[in-house]
Amino acid sequence: MITFDNVTKRYPGSHEALTGVSFSIERGDIVYVTGHSGAGKSTLLKLIATIERPTSGIVLINNQNVSKLKEATLPFMRRQFGMVFQDHKLLYDRNCYHNVALPLAINGITGHEAGKRIRAALDKVGLLGKEKAMPITLSGGEQQRLAIARAVVSRPSILIADEPTGNLDRNYAADIITLFKAFQQVGVTVIIATHDALGQANLENKVLHLNHGKLASAAIESTEATA
Amino acid sequence: MNNWFSQHIQTLELVLRRFKTNKLSTLLICMAIGVTLALPSLLYAVLDSANGLANNVKSESKISVFLTLNHDDAVVEKITTALKNEAQINSFKFVSKDDALKNLQATDTNKDVPSSNDILGSLQNNPLPDAFFIEPKQLDNDSVESLKSTLSKLDGVEEVIVDGAWLKRLNALLSLGQKALTIVAGLLAFALVAVIGNTIRMQILTQQAEINLSQLIGATNSFIRRPFLYAGALYGLLGGLFALLITYAAILLFNQSLAPLAAEYQADFAVHLPSFSVCFVICALALLLGIIAAHLASSKSLSKSVG
Repeated sequence: MITFDNVTKRYPGSHEALTGVSFSIERGDIVYVTGHSGAGKSTLLKLIATIERPTSGIVLINNQNVSKLKEATLPFMRRQFGMVFQDHKLLYDRNCYHNVALPLAINGITGHEAGKRIRAALDKVGLLGKEKAMPITLSGGEQQRLAIARAVVSRPSILIADEPTGNLDRNYAADIITLFKAFQQVGVTVIIATHDALGQANLENKVLHLNHGKLASAAIESTEATA
Repeated sequence: MNNWFSQHIQTLELVLRRFKTNKLSTLLICMAIGVTLALPSLLYAVLDSANGLANNVKSESKISVFLTLNHDDAVVEKITTALKNEAQINSFKFVSKDDALKNLQATDTNKDVPSSNDILGSLQNNPLPDAFFIEPKQLDNDSVESLKSTLSKLDGVEEVIVDGAWLKRLNALLSLGQKALTIVAGLLAFALVAVIGNTIRMQILTQQAEINLSQLIGATNSFIRRPFLYAGALYGLLGGLFALLITYAAILLFNQSLAPLAAEYQADFAVHLPSFSVCFVICALALLLGIIAAHLASSKSLSKSVG
């Protein structure tokens, strides 16, 4: 579903953020991208989400070469992804309901159908009672869950989360990870970047460990670990 | 199709909601646009009315041919046939000196003043010449001048007067006014694009977070741009309506003072209100300028924030 072949990404006026990265992710996988701060995790996620294009190498998403796509088709490519951003990127000028409504509006889904989906998404993350609340009044963990609700509301086939547990305490972090696993169980491919080891949670899963822009262990461990 | 339609309705609702939350600033912007548009509209209305007046006068424009005082009727006959054969002449009228004197007596405004009662009556013989009043076919300078020289060569003609000098001046003034209107309208259209463009740019800045996020999660540029184009169009349209309101009010006020003035000159002149088609053109133009301004403003910030 996602294949990287010898992918290098260099930002203008900077060193290489990623160097010669190759791996592939299958449909329905849950994959952790780990590594120290500045190792290139965010860059890797942006390349997957077609927000950035590789400097060299090939990125295939659903068998489509991202480098060869026209600029105008990228928005449609991006709609396959649900993105949970490191800084949440919640819109503080509108309530929770309308925050979650944005991806649906972009997909052209409005009205009654949108309302049903928004409430379902808010319900899944446990924020159904807060649909009228403004994001600023939510706690850190609630804001995180609102960002997840927004990411899943348009039913993406791939869910990408950048440091979703970054500044949450351990119990909350475990809740969030459980939530992502629930999405994986219904067939969504989940990719999570995290700077710390998530305890035992990640041991039985695929891990892409980055070290200074290089893939230290392309260990797609799940097959071996469960075998 | 249905989806496309509902998206546009939704965008319109969004823009109207935003207008509603910023009632005062929206009102002020629309008024500023209205004032900007009202200036050329007013100028147009005045010029258009003056043009109508000039056209009225043009049809009355005449060449006067005065004959020598001492001539016999044969000369009049000859000139009459000559005029009949002249291709450049539309129509002409002969006024004999006796008729002219009678006309003068009839229109003498001093006849009610006792002391001057007998000015005309005291004249020993009629000082007025026989005259032809000619309406030429073509009114431009060259043909009028050539006709004048032809006429002055005729036997028994004392003087040929083209009473169109002031008409020429009026026409020159009008064409000057039209050029001024074009320049003013052009400059103000530019100002309008700047005002609306700047307003939209400010709105884009306040929505920057939403725009960036939308781009990241797959919004197309046209999706992001749409509400701003609607806002620009609405600013233009509302501004155009304000401009019409101002223009109507100004013209009505203007005509109140113009009516007694025109009466003094025994003229029936008033600035007419712009017709429906003119109103439509003003509003459509304002709307178009609004869209152009919004497009320019949004293009700039969209290209900046990709990625």
